[in-house]
Amino acid sequence: METDFAKLGFSTSFTVLDWCIVVGYLIAVVSIGVYIRKYVASATDFMVAGRGLKTFLAIATMIGTELGLVTVMYSAQKGFTGGFAAFHIAFAAAIVTLFVGVSGFIVVPLRRLNVMTIPEFYEKRFGRDVRILGGAILAFSGILNMGLFLKAASLFVMGVTGLASEIHLKIVMTVLLCMVLLYTTLGGMVSVVVLDYIQFVVLAFGLVIASVLSIRHLGWTNIVETVTREMGDSGFNPFNEAGFGWSYVLWMFFMGLVSCAVWQTAVIRACSAKDTATVRKMYSLSSIGFLIRFLIPYFFGICALVFIANSSSLRSVFLSAEGKADPDLSLRAMPFYLSQILPSGIIGIVTAGMLAAFMSTHDSYLLCWSSVLTQDVVAPWFRKDLSSRVRLLLTRIFILAIGIFILVWGLWFPLRQDLWDYMAISGAIYSIGGFTLLAFGLYWNRASRTGAYLALLSGILALLGLSKVQELCAPMLAPIKARFGIEGDISSAVIGLLVLILAIVLMIAGSLLWPDRERNRYHAEREES
Amino acid sequence: MDWVKIWTFFFFLSLGLFTALAVIVAIGGFFNIRSLFKDLSEARRGHGPRNDSRAEA
Repeated sequence: METDFAKLGFSTSFTVLDWCIVVGYLIAVVSIGVYIRKYVASATDFMVAGRGLKTFLAIATMIGTELGLVTVMYSAQKGFTGGFAAFHIAFAAAIVTLFVGVSGFIVVPLRRLNVMTIPEFYEKRFGRDVRILGGAILAFSGILNMGLFLKAASLFVMGVTGLASEIHLKIVMTVLLCMVLLYTTLGGMVSVVVLDYIQFVVLAFGLVIASVLSIRHLGWTNIVETVTREMGDSGFNPFNEAGFGWSYVLWMFFMGLVSCAVWQTAVIRACSAKDTATVRKMYSLSSIGFLIRFLIPYFFGICALVFIANSSSLRSVFLSAEGKADPDLSLRAMPFYLSQILPSGIIGIVTAGMLAAFMSTHDSYLLCWSSVLTQDVVAPWFRKDLSSRVRLLLTRIFILAIGIFILVWGLWFPLRQDLWDYMAISGAIYSIGGFTLLAFGLYWNRASRTGAYLALLSGILALLGLSKVQELCAPMLAPIKARFGIEGDISSAVIGLLVLILAIVLMIAGSLLWPDRERNRYHAEREES
Repeated sequence: MDWVKIWTFFFFLSLGLFTALAVIVAIGGFFNIRSLFKDLSEARRGHGPRNDSRAEA
């Protein structure tokens, strides 16, 4: 949907100076990434930076990866549509990450096992075939999950720069992806962590400055009053069923746990850490980062709502008579708002930071999913261990292949569904089964291969959270809806929680009914230790 | 329960904490990078190209 805001009297403050800042910054970071390749001597250097990450660098790279442009975009959309009540998601993420840091839940035993990927743990614990299945589901879920990153980035660039022609935008995004591919392919994890650090610094200070400017421009009292007027209690109270409700809050606590302890891109940071003490410190301190990566974008979304709701011309474009927004437009609200509120120069730095965040997420995700495909899906098929050289080559080939896929899927292929639903569902395909295998595999000796298979496969049922899938399965779901008096779609949070319970039940039942007959290498190692 | 007061306090506290964390990580991370490059260079000089595949810990 194209809307020329300049015709409504809202020209962007993005000028030539800002373009120079963005281009100069991007060229500089890519050059550094390519230069760093001289430090890469092995597969371990490439994939987990030689396991040499110390606390501060580990924190920077973890936040740098997780604070991606796509997170900023869909979080801002959530703030725009959910108001202050959306803050509970940031709160849940911080509490859960702190819990993981203090307790070492999942991540510390994983680091002790010296695995590079989660499916590698599946093999140690449940056998090679579970590793291949788990790796394939993880990669499928992850690659689909990042399929819309370019779409989100393109909407951001359109909103900030005021670009109207989509063909120019596609060219810009293609160039960006090529730059990411270049330094990810050449430098691997060493480049990634160093660039994540640079991007963390730029983005962290950019976000704080933009927050302060927003409060100065709109005024805190005005922000609170406008949200009260537009949303009432549901704009603040997360338990109000007119807004989020109890099931959603509960689901967000689980998603917070998944994001930090089960999602491969975060876990690979734990695997890259120098030792388990670093893992604990990294997670405890990163809880603030996990909080902020949601909180500030929510705040920008709220500010965008306030800015738009107080202008009659913008209100007519963004909001319907009932105060609701079209998903495409609500995604564009935050970048549009930033283009109005930030002065030239500052907006260039913030945009460079955002695009850097986009590249940072892209490089980490590309490296992560290509590593999973190499280590967990392809390598286990070979009886003889693949050499470091072959693994590096395979990883680089997968990086290129995934890059091409997401370019076609996210940018040139016209997707017609909501970004948040797409992200949540594609992630849950893996994360529900993944969480169950990790939690039970690490902490329950009787967890068996059959239980693992059942739990992994049950995660696929999370697809029912998509309204389109609910439409297709309407005859099957009709009796359930009638039984519980549900009108319209069953909430994706309720479906997610039910599938999680199912996965846990299947893991327990499968393990008790079909226990493993022989003890594997994992059990032997544990007994030895 | 006054959610406005809770979220106001929560937001400003978080913003303050994050600003402090950003400063600390920016400084500490710089020294970590120097140390990482030093370690990788020494490993490269000391052992030459490695064939460490997945078995290496």
